[in-house]
Amino acid sequence: MSEFIPAAKVGEVIDPGSLLVEIDDRLVVLIHAAGHWYALDDVCTHDGGPLSDGPVDVTDRSIACPRHGAKFDMATGAALTMPATKPTVAHEVKVEGDHVFVRLNSAS
Amino acid sequence: MSHTLTAAGFTQEAFDSFLDSRHEPGWLVDLRRAAWARFSELAMPARNDEEWVRTDIRLFKLDRFGFPTGAPVGSDMPRSLLAEGVALGGSTVTSDSVVVGAQLAEKWSAKGVLFGDLATMVAEHGDLLKPYFERRVVDANRDKFAALNAAAWAGGALLYVPKRVAIDEPLHSLSAMTDGGIDLNRTLVIVEEGAEATLLSETASISEHGGGFHCGSIELLVEPGARLRYVSLQNWGDQVWHFAHQKAHIAARGHLQWTIGALGSRLAKVNQHVAMTGQDAEAQVNGVMFTQGRQHLSYNTHQHHQAPHCRSDLLYKAALQDDSRTVWRGMIKVDKPAQRTDAYQRNDNLMLSRTARADSIPGLEIEADDVRCTHGSTSGRVDEQQVFYAMTRGYTRQEAVRMIVEGFFQQVFDRIPIESVSEALGEAIGQRVRDI
Repeated sequence: MSEFIPAAKVGEVIDPGSLLVEIDDRLVVLIHAAGHWYALDDVCTHDGGPLSDGPVDVTDRSIACPRHGAKFDMATGAALTMPATKPTVAHEVKVEGDHVFVRLNSAS
Repeated sequence: MSHTLTAAGFTQEAFDSFLDSRHEPGWLVDLRRAAWARFSELAMPARNDEEWVRTDIRLFKLDRFGFPTGAPVGSDMPRSLLAEGVALGGSTVTSDSVVVGAQLAEKWSAKGVLFGDLATMVAEHGDLLKPYFERRVVDANRDKFAALNAAAWAGGALLYVPKRVAIDEPLHSLSAMTDGGIDLNRTLVIVEEGAEATLLSETASISEHGGGFHCGSIELLVEPGARLRYVSLQNWGDQVWHFAHQKAHIAARGHLQWTIGALGSRLAKVNQHVAMTGQDAEAQVNGVMFTQGRQHLSYNTHQHHQAPHCRSDLLYKAALQDDSRTVWRGMIKVDKPAQRTDAYQRNDNLMLSRTARADSIPGLEIEADDVRCTHGSTSGRVDEQQVFYAMTRGYTRQEAVRMIVEGFFQQVFDRIPIESVSEALGEAIGQRVRDI
């Protein structure tokens, strides 16, 4: 199991909002929504689009790909709408003090 | 093992130092300066650019690399796959863009053949080569990587075959890279009217898991009635960033057989372009790709028919395992004067895991009205019934899968008349296939 790695400071991501971060040579979108933190691979599984450029929707806990509108669950990475059918990878997040930490999901 | 030092970044100051160190003719310096200006103007490719939309290079940091300035490596060199057991007419070796050896058999040099590292050949035969450079077969304005190679190329090979000289021994060039190194090779092949040659070209890292940056170009000029067989095997370490522009011009009655093997690199983005510029020209393009881990190989192929009665036949086959990904975008472009064109393109993908992904995008753009242009694409998994049958005959599951993968590639191996090439590709792929 990989370690928690500092990803950002709490104040760097507005609520609701997202931030693209590089963790261990991997692109991850860090999401702050309704007081909660989430982290997903910055990849839409439909055609590889960057989720970090897409809108965050607090009401259905989703982030949408800016290219074709596919939505993904912020917490699980599950594909919620077409044209995506496969989940993107979700990572574990914790907040300690002013810092947000991410532990990469090593299963993928 | 010694290593190549690189200057910090592609800065104006580093470019000026690079030029000062090379003592090249004025016309070449002018070409480099023009390309450098273009490189400086151009941004990195945009994510929404159709050609790059499926290839994410946000993790590539150009400023971590710079002009090669150091000494070549010592004794450690990667094993050559293509040259094993082959009687060669000549060879060149570069390491991190620095030439470490070149030789050509006396019988060929006596016939006027030139083969060696490009910089030396320019210094010794500048007047002969200047017109070929000025043809700008690869367009330095195409993107930032094309401009960088045109401005900063170092190392690389030149093959010049005079009119009606037929070289019946393959020539070989090897470009090696140290871990974290840089390769800015440029290859220029000129086969004059009625001449024939075979060039085996391969790139390899010293370390299987080595990183680094390749920004290269290949220009093949097949003049009227000439025949060229060109094999290019990309076998970098699995952390190398590979960007390349490769283009051939085939004149009237010329024939090119171009085989690509793509096995290595972390991410590869290659533009391969064949232009049939004269009547009755012919191109056969073969591609063999095998990906694993999190590799991403993206190939854009372009068959451009500019003249009547030309033929082009492209077959790319890819096998993918683990979380790897391939992108193939193929285009057959037929200009209005290119009547009686006969063109074909096909891409087959064999998926060896459920998490691999192959994007296959064939395309046609036809302005002439009397042509035959067809294309096809297939993607599928290994047939479990075939595996089961082989296992009932005494094979292990892994042996069975290897056999099926080998059979998948056999169609393209059968098109390659150079035994050492199909054997080397088959062996390299066989070693990579795991149980599925």
